[in-house]
Amino acid sequence: MSVKNLTKKFKRTVVNNISFDVERGNVYGLLGPNGSGKSTTFGMLLSTINPTSGDWYWFGERGTQPDTLKKIGAIIEQPNFYPYLNAETNLKIVAEIKGTPHTRIDEVLKTVGLLERKKDPFRTYSLGMKQRLSIASAMLNNPEVLILDEPTNGLDPEGIIQIREIISNIAKQGITIIIASHLLDEIEKICSHVIVLKEGNSIYCGRVDEMTANNGYFELKADNNTQLLSALEELQWFTSVKTEGEIIKAQIREDASISASALNQKLVEKGIFLSHLTKKKLSLESQFLELVKNTNYHA
Amino acid sequence: MLKLLKLEYYKNLNYRPFKIFTALYFAILTVLLFIGLVDLDVFGATINLKEQGIYNFPEIWNFTTWIVALLKIFLGLIIVFSISQEFTNRMFKQNTIDGLSRKEFIGSKLLTITIFTAISTLLVFIITLFLGYQYSTTTESAKVFEEIFFIGNYFVKLFTFFCFLMFLSVLLRKSMFVFLGFFVYWIAEGILTVIETFQKVRGLQEPERLKVMKDDFFITHLLPLESMSSLIPNPMMRLKTAKMMGLQYEFTYPVESLIACIVWSGIFIFGSYWILRKRDW
Repeated sequence: MSVKNLTKKFKRTVVNNISFDVERGNVYGLLGPNGSGKSTTFGMLLSTINPTSGDWYWFGERGTQPDTLKKIGAIIEQPNFYPYLNAETNLKIVAEIKGTPHTRIDEVLKTVGLLERKKDPFRTYSLGMKQRLSIASAMLNNPEVLILDEPTNGLDPEGIIQIREIISNIAKQGITIIIASHLLDEIEKICSHVIVLKEGNSIYCGRVDEMTANNGYFELKADNNTQLLSALEELQWFTSVKTEGEIIKAQIREDASISASALNQKLVEKGIFLSHLTKKKLSLESQFLELVKNTNYHA
Repeated sequence: MLKLLKLEYYKNLNYRPFKIFTALYFAILTVLLFIGLVDLDVFGATINLKEQGIYNFPEIWNFTTWIVALLKIFLGLIIVFSISQEFTNRMFKQNTIDGLSRKEFIGSKLLTITIFTAISTLLVFIITLFLGYQYSTTTESAKVFEEIFFIGNYFVKLFTFFCFLMFLSVLLRKSMFVFLGFFVYWIAEGILTVIETFQKVRGLQEPERLKVMKDDFFITHLLPLESMSSLIPNPMMRLKTAKMMGLQYEFTYPVESLIACIVWSGIFIFGSYWILRKRDW
């Protein structure tokens, strides 16, 4: 699927001119702080919200037709089911809408471990069970694309692990997944691509490893930190050199590539002997915070 | 079609308000039709509606449909609950995401409305025929079927009423607001009617005033509730007591009300569809 210049304005602009492409079989993470337009973007792609302008294509077809939605499984915000109906009847309704045979119902209920509770009304379910039922419902039609909006929101650690396991199993089947989440380490584990939104603007769109590849940093320590500091600044390999307590952090420039041993050698030549040296990569979380912070200055 | 029917069946079968009100409605409807068989105590005088001729052909069609139409609010409650719960439970949104189109959604609700209206109409038709053949003074075919159009009017009246409630439910989404909205509209229509009448008869003397009231064309009579109610006029003027008191019963078939009702139904259906399309869910 592909999204071009998608914009939604309520009283203010919520989603501003977003474009991205999603390729088959990949897992995409949609990142962004609360209120950055993630759910609104999903809403437009799922035809529940009318866009102000912009286009998108599902499987090469423009916009979202009801038939397109039958090839998509989606979980949005919170599990929505008829509270007075049991799991089985709720899924029968979904199966009717999607035109799926009713035999799939027991299969998906088994996948999410709810087969024993299928005769109980939905309102008696715990949040974790509700969330699992919505995954079952999204999987009912063997979708080609799965859209997950905060699938682990509000769950306890055990529930989060259960959901994560289910999702990674689905990802292994080669289904395209677009997942929005706050849990960045989770995105890092599951996703191959990320799209970062901030205040409705798309500020990064690409592979996860490329996002983390260029930027790395060194942690250094020497007996004479002042000498080390000035030596590092002379080297011009770094965008910033900061002292954090005993440790000096040196951010590697994007166009420079230096190994720890090369740096060590260089410093020895200058007569500086290190007591501590590690090369680190920023985690997705700090990358993300960095990105969000940086664009703040631009804005 | 079958798909939509199944959907409505699953959604409503286990919905408690739905079951309770449906059972209540059909029970009360049946009981009410037999009301003429008991003696009513009104202001100390005993009135037996059967003696008053309500079960006589052809008036019986007017009486039964009018009495039973008073109960339409029960069915209305079912319609309102069943539609507004789709919105309060966020199920309309979920259905849309699952791939139900707006047209199919409206279609499924219209199907429920039509089925209810049809069953109710059929029931009234059967019970009326039974009561008529049992208690009417005449059972000649000509008399029996003379005013059978009231059954058709009953169908249109109920259908329009439910389309109106469906529209309000889609517009206001919470059942409480729908009832409030309905009463506000009811009062508003009443006020408009009074205003128009007042403007027409202002400054006129008694004979002309009556003539204007009788013959002039009132725009407010084309409003939904007014046109629905003129489809089946109040039959109390046709009671024997009323006839003895010298009250004249005059009835001309309300063609313009019938057309107004059909047009309103269309407006409500397309209005609902338009709201579903335009709103962000």
